[in-house]
Amino acid sequence: MNPTDDAQFVLPPGLWEDFLSGGRLACARLISLIENEPFARTEIRDRLLPRPGGAVRIGVTGPPGVGKSTLTAALARRALDENHAVGIIAVDPTSPFTGGAFLGDRVRMHSLIGDPRVFIRSMAARDGRGGLSSAAPDAADILDAFGMDRIFIETLGVGQAELDVMTCADVLALVLQPGTGDAIQTLKAGIIETADLIIVNKTDMPGADDLLESLRFLFDSAGAAGKRNAPLLCSASAVEGRGLDEVWTALEGLIVRDRETGRLREKRRARLEGEIRTAISGSLWERYVALAGGTADIALLAERLSREGGSPYPFIRKECGRIKLVRDGRPELPPKKKE
Amino acid sequence: MSDKRLKVIIAKPGLDGHDRGVKVVARALVEAGMEVVYLGLRQTPESIVRAAVEEDADVIGLSVLSGAHLANFRRVKELMNDAGIGGRLLTGGGIIPAGDQDELCALGIGRLFGPGDELQSIVDYIKAWDAGRRP
Repeated sequence: MNPTDDAQFVLPPGLWEDFLSGGRLACARLISLIENEPFARTEIRDRLLPRPGGAVRIGVTGPPGVGKSTLTAALARRALDENHAVGIIAVDPTSPFTGGAFLGDRVRMHSLIGDPRVFIRSMAARDGRGGLSSAAPDAADILDAFGMDRIFIETLGVGQAELDVMTCADVLALVLQPGTGDAIQTLKAGIIETADLIIVNKTDMPGADDLLESLRFLFDSAGAAGKRNAPLLCSASAVEGRGLDEVWTALEGLIVRDRETGRLREKRRARLEGEIRTAISGSLWERYVALAGGTADIALLAERLSREGGSPYPFIRKECGRIKLVRDGRPELPPKKKE
Repeated sequence: MSDKRLKVIIAKPGLDGHDRGVKVVARALVEAGMEVVYLGLRQTPESIVRAAVEEDADVIGLSVLSGAHLANFRRVKELMNDAGIGGRLLTGGGIIPAGDQDELCALGIGRLFGPGDELQSIVDYIKAWDAGRRP
């Protein structure tokens, strides 16, 4: 992706106009273009104007099978009841062997189909290694521009450190279930520290009280250390329909709080900063590949090092030393003289 | 370079609880590198086409073992046309007599598979359809 070469992609005629007039298929096709065409992103991003207010993005993450999709559907139902338009982006993993994907989150969301205020999109993670598809943040921007004001972004089933959703979401809910490890597991760093709301689901199963207790201990002790805000704790049984109103109330409370304290705006700022950094590093990489005439040298070096051992850094230093940033025809930073 | 992958909606319309076969087919399509959106049981033609629009699916595959194939395929095809996705492939399988297959074929519905067909023939059929629509 090279943001300076946006002329390489042209939107199909009429697509943008269809999108602006509320065309559901046009919205879906824009998301596909972001997923499939490397040069579509800048073209679409340039056109997406910020909406006053804008959508709140709710990340839903957690291990496989804890009930993320079922809870998302239940929370989306409550959002609809309060007259929000709802977007859902549900990510499932891509096979590292075939590139195929089985996207099964819609199975749990059947009750939402038929309401015109809902737009659900399943996405395969493809190259995304952080629990999301790299196109998920842009898909959220598109759904935002489409008029959705609560956007749920559901990650694939995560382990301990898939953190992409942390920057992509304004508010992050972590879903856990009983019986997945003892109190030591809750003490570990990673995702568990990032959540604004932790939902212990499947309270109909044994062990829910133990899990809640160890989470309370974790955040009481972290609070004693004077660090970040402790997350809110909720418990629910999505299949039995218990505790869901409380989860929804807690979530909306967080949104109100974060709006008032400016934290939502700060999250958006951080997200934009991340987008800019990623785009620049991606663009520099593309230019480097063009300059170096491809990546064959890298492949050869890796092949040699894997056989003979050794450090890749002499090569990396040499290659990076060849790059000079130039602004207005003059070197941006004069090369340092050797002392 | 485009990273387009075939996106396929797989669903069972109506009150037909036999989903073992359709899961096997879905897995075969994933193995062939496709992105399969599995909707599961008890879908309506409306819910299937709505999902196909939101997912921008290339292909809809229906599994019908209940005998209600004529009504289901016809209605899904109608709704696809209304939604502007009439050019996407509607295919599927089940216990579908040859005469009924001809009738559905005349409506622009793709090949329908039955007991004894190889999984690979389904994969090959979808890939050939995809290759045929490219300019």
